Amino acid sequence: MKCREILRFEIRYLLRHFSTWLLFLVFLVFGFIILRLVTLTDGTNYNAPGTIAFFTIFANFIWVVIGGGIAGEAATRDFQINMHPLSFTAPVSKRSYLGGRFLAALILNLMILFFLYLGFLISLYGPGFNPEFRSPFRFASYLTNFAYLAVPTVVATTSIQFTFAALSRRPIAGYLASIAIIIFSQFGGTTVLYALDWKVTGGLMDLLGTSIAADMEGWSPIEKNTRLIRLEGLWFWNRLLWFAIAVGVLALTYFKFNMRHVTQNSGWNLFRRRSAEKLSKGKTSSETAVEKHRIFQSITVPKFPRNFRFATYVRQVLALAHTSFLVVAGSRAGLTIVAILAIGTGLFATEYMQFFGVPLYARTEEVLRILTPALGTYKTHWIIIPLLIIFYASELIWREREAGINELYDTVPVPEAVAFLGKFLGMAMVIAFWMSFLMIAGIINQLIMGYYNFEILVYVKALFGFQFTNYLLFALLILVIHVLVNQKYLGLMVALGAYGFILFTPTLGIEHKMLIYASDTGWSYSDMSGFDPFLKPWLWFKFYWASWSFLLAVIAMLFWVRSRESEFGARIYQARHRLGNYKPALIIALILVLLSGGFVFYNTNIRNEYLQKSDYMETRVEYERHYSKYKSAVQPEMAVTKLHVEIYPEENSAEIHATYHLVNRSNVSIDSLHFTTIPRQEIENVSFDRQASPVVIDDKLGYRIYFLEEPLNPGDSILMKFLVNIRQHGFSNDGVDLSVIGNGSHIKRGDWMPTIGFDDDRRLYEERDREKFGLPVRPIRPSLYDVEARYDDRHAQQINFEAVIGTAKDQIAVAPGALQREWTKGDRRYFHYATNAPIHNDYAIFSAQYAVREAEWVPEPGENFAEIFADSIQPSNRTSKPVKIQVFYHPEHDENIDRMLKSAKVSMEYYSKEFGPYPYSHFRVLERPGPGRGMHAEPMTIDYASGYSLMNPQPDGLDLPYHIMSHEVAHQWWGFYLSPATVEGSGVLVESLATYSAMQVVEEALGYEHLMRYLSQMRQEYEVPRSQAAPPLLRANNSFLNYRKGPFAFYVLRNYIGKDRVNDALRQLLKEKPSEPPLPTTLDLYRELQAVTPDTLQYLVKDLFAENTFWELKTDVATTKKLETGMWQVTLEVKARKIAVDSMGIETEVPMKDWIEIGVYAPREKDKSSGKEIYLKKHRINSGKKRFIINVSEEPNNAGIDPNHLLIDLNLQNNTRKVKIDGVKEEEEEKGIL
Amino acid sequence: MELQINNLSKTYSNGVQALKDVNLTIPTGLYGLLGPNGAGKSTLMRILATLQEPDSGTISLGDIDVLKQKNEVRKTLGYLPQEFGVYPKSRAEDLLNHFAILKGIADRRARKEVVEALLKQTNLWDKRRQKLGGYSGGMKQRFGVAVALLGNPKVMIVDEPTAGLDPAERVRFLNLLSELGENSVVILSTHIVEDVSELCTRMAIIDQGQILIEAEPIKAIEGLKGKIWRKIIDKTVLPVVEREHKVISTKLLSGRTVVHIYSTENPGNGFEVVEPDLEDVYFKTMAGQPETPTVL
Repeated sequence: MKCREILRFEIRYLLRHFSTWLLFLVFLVFGFIILRLVTLTDGTNYNAPGTIAFFTIFANFIWVVIGGGIAGEAATRDFQINMHPLSFTAPVSKRSYLGGRFLAALILNLMILFFLYLGFLISLYGPGFNPEFRSPFRFASYLTNFAYLAVPTVVATTSIQFTFAALSRRPIAGYLASIAIIIFSQFGGTTVLYALDWKVTGGLMDLLGTSIAADMEGWSPIEKNTRLIRLEGLWFWNRLLWFAIAVGVLALTYFKFNMRHVTQNSGWNLFRRRSAEKLSKGKTSSETAVEKHRIFQSITVPKFPRNFRFATYVRQVLALAHTSFLVVAGSRAGLTIVAILAIGTGLFATEYMQFFGVPLYARTEEVLRILTPALGTYKTHWIIIPLLIIFYASELIWREREAGINELYDTVPVPEAVAFLGKFLGMAMVIAFWMSFLMIAGIINQLIMGYYNFEILVYVKALFGFQFTNYLLFALLILVIHVLVNQKYLGLMVALGAYGFILFTPTLGIEHKMLIYASDTGWSYSDMSGFDPFLKPWLWFKFYWASWSFLLAVIAMLFWVRSRESEFGARIYQARHRLGNYKPALIIALILVLLSGGFVFYNTNIRNEYLQKSDYMETRVEYERHYSKYKSAVQPEMAVTKLHVEIYPEENSAEIHATYHLVNRSNVSIDSLHFTTIPRQEIENVSFDRQASPVVIDDKLGYRIYFLEEPLNPGDSILMKFLVNIRQHGFSNDGVDLSVIGNGSHIKRGDWMPTIGFDDDRRLYEERDREKFGLPVRPIRPSLYDVEARYDDRHAQQINFEAVIGTAKDQIAVAPGALQREWTKGDRRYFHYATNAPIHNDYAIFSAQYAVREAEWVPEPGENFAEIFADSIQPSNRTSKPVKIQVFYHPEHDENIDRMLKSAKVSMEYYSKEFGPYPYSHFRVLERPGPGRGMHAEPMTIDYASGYSLMNPQPDGLDLPYHIMSHEVAHQWWGFYLSPATVEGSGVLVESLATYSAMQVVEEALGYEHLMRYLSQMRQEYEVPRSQAAPPLLRANNSFLNYRKGPFAFYVLRNYIGKDRVNDALRQLLKEKPSEPPLPTTLDLYRELQAVTPDTLQYLVKDLFAENTFWELKTDVATTKKLETGMWQVTLEVKARKIAVDSMGIETEVPMKDWIEIGVYAPREKDKSSGKEIYLKKHRINSGKKRFIINVSEEPNNAGIDPNHLLIDLNLQNNTRKVKIDGVKEEEEEKGIL
Repeated sequence: MELQINNLSKTYSNGVQALKDVNLTIPTGLYGLLGPNGAGKSTLMRILATLQEPDSGTISLGDIDVLKQKNEVRKTLGYLPQEFGVYPKSRAEDLLNHFAILKGIADRRARKEVVEALLKQTNLWDKRRQKLGGYSGGMKQRFGVAVALLGNPKVMIVDEPTAGLDPAERVRFLNLLSELGENSVVILSTHIVEDVSELCTRMAIIDQGQILIEAEPIKAIEGLKGKIWRKIIDKTVLPVVEREHKVISTKLLSGRTVVHIYSTENPGNGFEVVEPDLEDVYFKTMAGQPETPTVL
């Protein structure tokens, strides 16, 4: 058996390789480390099949990226060592030869993943593992994952790598195959699956199983712990398809592979026809014979003096750069991959330039977010650029040696520096091309999106300034690694390792940016503030890293391999010899590193305190430890806040002179005042209007206590004055603070201002974190049934507010309240604001070069709710004065302003009619720089990040900005007028009700059709895989429940009991629960809802709010026949089931006796989104099957149960089906297998 | 200009001692370095070509310390390695032009002329636009020569250049080298005696890392005059002859064996004196006959 002999020899050969063992080690360590590093929060076990599956997929990905060498080596070694004339002439059949080699590679690759599992086991059963997180050993958990996830991936990948390498006769092609697989299967598969929504194609393209990992997101912890991956459904076909691909490419290798000598290294031309070259080759050999007599003619070669001036070296660098560039540009993948990706990115713009289906304005600000990922992020398809750099750097460094021409190169009078710089410059030229492709991608994107204001200069700055620098630094590092390692495949692995380090430092706990190569404190571009706020720290960090890379480059020049002597000792010896020449450069590099490093360190660690994530946590922990004892200390309440703020945008600084007016509203005397301040932010010049002496001044944790000589008696008040200085001290490791910037300052109270008493919100929330720091465990949110928590009303207390703000002359400053006066003094502009009704103690101050647009809304007098609020606490504030609605926006972002004003006006009108009057004379909306698309509400003020203004709703599409605006306006009622207790379910009272209110406005103003559009867009989130395990709405604890499930529940209820009844309940809630303790909870809401619901539907209120209910509704049969009367008789067979799922995912079937709609629809007419409703009625439906016979007057098209998808059903498609006409055979009974 | 090699030794990490205390003085002219395969020729050549480091010893080229001022050496060096590859997709003209830049011919016009002349000289002019991947072994070798000749090197090191050439090519190539030797140091390593005998003004024989003899070929041959004897014998009596005489070489001629022996006197026994040639010098040296004056 020759095949076996080849296999045996090959495996032994590969096992003697250092890199093979390195791969084994890498995966062993990976398997070990990953299970020790991750934290599984949802109760999933570490040895659960789901966990193993997830990390198998993860490791598969890494293996595909770095494991291309084995198959590449096995397929091509004979060519590499020029042994193929020997092995090809040996009496070995092609089948044995290729078969043996392939099997060897396959076995070794499988062994690598086997080592991964070994790593898992050592991690799980080794010392230091908490057995609580481990369930009993189950062999099937490992076997199924290995067999269904790992093995097929390895078989297919190895086959493809082997084919690439064998046919191109270059081992590196194994890596190219890996890149191709990643691009096709990962980027392609994910795009097809999620962006284009082609589920089957996308699922089949997915080789690694990422779609399974995504599906698992939707598994409950119990499922993750028990459910095994099975070869079924689409996954079965996927594995079969990839197996077929493996067989196919191997067959291709078998037929295409030539066991003969090939004179020309054919490189990439896997499938190219070679006839042209063969011709010219044939000619060569015959001609040489004829020419022999003429060779070495005596021609005098002109003698030109050579010179070795600086200009010559420059010329040499350029020549080497040029050839290096051509190497990359001339290879198939060099420029094309990035170009194709760039063009694709541009052409598919409409797929991602949208937010919940709303297209975006392709402003450069927006487009750049897609084109300029940080070097340290892997969540981008531009990860291809670093990968290509790693690959081509190795090609460039090894080019001469692989061609065997190195001795010619090594003896030319080119200094090492010139050789290194030549290659680096060549790489730089390639990267420059890539950057221009990115720019083209951006421009195509803008063309596709119909945006024609091309800000080329911004592109140039972002791509050729910021991104180019990063990639250059990276390329230099990789070149240096390849030079120093001096072993191609080891070099590739070290380079990938270095890249991995850059990518995963956050996971490794390394946070200081001075330790992460080429990193910086981040940047982004915005129309409002440009690059400015980020520029200074960015430049310093890049200068620092450029110094390092200069040093690295000099080291690479010292160790540049230029001879046969590649042993370590010899290289040291040569480096010492070269040192003489490179000493000045080395010294300059060292000085630069020290200078720049010193300056950066001075900024990050001396001028600013260097704080890691754990330090911030520790501050909170210590704060809680030291001061939680004062939690219940009786404190005065804030009555008035007066500020004098001087903003200096150009200096990024501001001074806040504050006066707090505090009143003792308790019935005991208070002898000491407690303040929570911002940690590490000093408050200066503190003074009181009565004798007070500091007892505790803890600026590090942020707590102060002042002792009052004369206690503050009930009803007494005290004035406190202090100064907060917002000033940049250079920059920290986190960059710069963005509160005060050149244009778009946004000073939030919570970021700077002291508050009264101990602040419980500063505690650590996560159970694991608290455990780690030894703090008593407490729920993230107090329980719904925690009565005491309803009396904590600090967030609901109201203050009067006044502010005088000075800013630069060309800016407008805004704070809550009516504008009292505006004046200019010197080159500064001043604004004086004062509230005419109290606000929550939550405000922000804005300053920017705003444009302003205004509208006025005059409430109609004599609304029906007047008597409702007659007895509420602030009747005087709720008057019918006109309200000034103002939008402060960046002048260029003016597309949505009218829509915002309209939405705000209509919303105020609707809400004040339905829920009660708006208390303030002003309503302001302000823009600030940032990518976010949402808005944030404060009393009488809403702010939004620029991302919101970039939404471009289409006339026939969803008007999301309108809805968001309306939602935020609703918060003036839901959140501010009604301030719920901070317990479970509070989000339902704030966010769900704001959304539900906005839905009413949308329906009223934009029409029912539009509401349906909104609902169907929102419903899509139900289709995202999600665990069914969740608490009921009353105890809602996450944004899905608050923003999606909650509003839907109200909408369903409204469909069953009517809009007015639901609003009655809400009005009643507002009336009964004003902002005084005990604060309202969802229990109050529940009671009001029950009160307006008839007895027959009480079960529904319970199912929607008090239980986590899912309906499984399905129409099995729908047939019709025409009756003699001309009517159509429809027969329906439906199946129904209802389950309740608890927060651990345990399902309980609930018997049904529910009212559910049964509907029949006519065929859809042209330009209508749905067919006409010809029958719709609620029927009582029990669990199990039920048959309906309905007579309708028109020919039905489709029919079924719950056609409007009112009830929560994870499978919406099977609710209705096409109606079959009796007697007519359906051709497509079951459609396809896939 | 003179290349001076003093006490050069080199041992590889696998224990093979490639050079043992080599001392040579190489003047301008064509210098032959003769030795069997594995004698240490290539090691010596690569050390001279700045590609390897000796363990000890010094080399100087005029004022240049070859081991320390590598870049200075490279500025006057032409090197043709024993084996080398080319970029299959490059064209001869482009690659030669590229090397011309690297060799310091920065002026574009000068470079154009030099490249053209060299391509003509090596008779690759007609093939200048052809990809190197399609070149035959001899053409590739000539291309290497063109690269080595770029920039009028003062020191030319050619390592076994004639191995891939056919007889005619070989002769012309050697002529070219000897022309170059008129004002440069040209060192030619070879294991073919004819390469040296025809043109080299001086030569050395190296074996197992040691220089056995350094001489002018003509003088070395003269030194053997009357001392080489020949006899055609039957193969079966060879052991007897070997026992009785100092056999330096045996050769087959039409099925019979021709024996050359070294003897200062007439050995009789049917041996006839022959006119010695360089081959006899080589074989005599290799056979390890002690010869008092190593330098003749």
